[in-house]
Amino acid sequence: MTVPDNSLLEADFELGFTYTRSPGIIIGKFLAALKQQKIYGIRANDGSVLFPPTEYDPRTAESLDDFVPLSDRGRLLYWTWIDQPRDHHQMSQSFAFAMIQLDGADVPFLHRMLADSPEHLSSGMAVKVQWAEERRGAITDIHGFVSATGG
Amino acid sequence: MSNHRVAICGVGQTERYKTKLTCSLAGLVREAALNALADAGCEWSDIDALIIGKAPDMFEGVVMPEAYLAEALGGVNKPVIRVHTAGSVGGSTAIVAANHIKSGLFKRVLTVAFEKQSESNAHWALSPSMPFRPHFNSGAGGMFAPVIREYMRRSGAPEDVGCQVAVKDRLHAIKNPHAHLHLPDIDIDTVKNSPMLWEPTRFLESCPSSDGACAMVLAAESHADTSTHKPAWVHAMAMRSEPSFYPWREEVNPEASRACAKDLYAQAGITQPRKQLDMAEVYVPFSWFEPIWLESLGFAESGQGWRLTLEGATSRDQGGDIPWNCSGGVLSSNPIGASGMIRFAEAALQVRGMADQRQVEGAKRALGHAYGGHSQFFAMWIVGATKP
Repeated sequence: MTVPDNSLLEADFELGFTYTRSPGIIIGKFLAALKQQKIYGIRANDGSVLFPPTEYDPRTAESLDDFVPLSDRGRLLYWTWIDQPRDHHQMSQSFAFAMIQLDGADVPFLHRMLADSPEHLSSGMAVKVQWAEERRGAITDIHGFVSATGG
Repeated sequence: MSNHRVAICGVGQTERYKTKLTCSLAGLVREAALNALADAGCEWSDIDALIIGKAPDMFEGVVMPEAYLAEALGGVNKPVIRVHTAGSVGGSTAIVAANHIKSGLFKRVLTVAFEKQSESNAHWALSPSMPFRPHFNSGAGGMFAPVIREYMRRSGAPEDVGCQVAVKDRLHAIKNPHAHLHLPDIDIDTVKNSPMLWEPTRFLESCPSSDGACAMVLAAESHADTSTHKPAWVHAMAMRSEPSFYPWREEVNPEASRACAKDLYAQAGITQPRKQLDMAEVYVPFSWFEPIWLESLGFAESGQGWRLTLEGATSRDQGGDIPWNCSGGVLSSNPIGASGMIRFAEAALQVRGMADQRQVEGAKRALGHAYGGHSQFFAMWIVGATKP
């Protein structure tokens, strides 16, 4: 048999639905602090400081609630340079996806590193937070990281 | 495959299956898991593997929750597996966990099932608009209402049987501190006067939208005695599936349901379930599914299930000989992904003698049941107070 109408072989569709999120007391406190330009890690059972905070200790599974204030400074560990950002990157200029470890934290996390070119980046370089102009209680209240020495 | 005995050593539930706005998904599952560990007399480190289950991701919009729940459930560096069979998932998750013990490869397995309906609107998430498919937004209620009508037509059951089930299960729920709905003043008139949602199903003949998790610690015989409470024992378990639609499909009494029950009873040596079982926790999200499943599961002859309901046979409060859903059932709490496991766990609590105010005195053997999808996934187990 032949298919009478090729347009019936495929169709685009959008799947959308509205949800509510409940981050819980611990993550909720962390997010509320970001809105105030304050950065908290959380102390794990072995004394190490986790940033971003987790509700439960990854090693012991115990509940965590010992918040540790952290500065807005850290170190760039490793990265990948995005020379020509596409629409989905939500950035109009070149940047890097980077693992950054805040001073006082024992684990790195993924965020944006902002610089004019990849030649300005090096492993271990000092970086500092660049806050978003409008903050709403999200990890993107930290817009990205820039060189702490202005390089 | 080896055939090692499976003990249920710990049962844990959310304190109450109502909306929890201040609690994360991780916090929700953890509460049930900690309660199960405490009941079993175990620590996180005693657990060999973690088997979790929830309803489709669309229901609460967390894609692959198993990817981030390991640390909340002590699962780091252990096998973590997610089971997925729509509304029956709580039951099939328990069976997958039990098979880990039955195989002889694992000594203690923690199994957790959950749903946080306050983060979504699961009813409409069931009916997304898709190309080449009808989009009726019928939801579960609209999908099952014609099946209920057909049951009523075939059986000639009186119109108010559904209302009787709705009242009976809510009165049971009063004695269950975990139940979402506590409606002590409910009566037939209250149910009859509630809004008609999907004729013949009224608002109070439908399950609520609940938040909650249920967990169990299952153990091999050699590791079954850590708890101060005695364990329950798995006597039989079975799962069956079928498509939503196929030419000879029997929607009122699905082939997969009958085949699942037949397999289950054969394993446990049961020929007369009403006489040989002391109680049952059966997935009844809309009231009329009590008589429908009474017949499909062999507690009554075809067309006669509604008589057991009207006679009070399924009511613990009325001293019925085969109480169904002493916990209040799905009609009183429905954290969808957890609901099947709650049925399995409540059956275990009954034969352990740990069901407190909702205990069926002297219960020795009980059925836990779950179904899901378009009446197409079935999971059942029979648990007993003594070793099989």
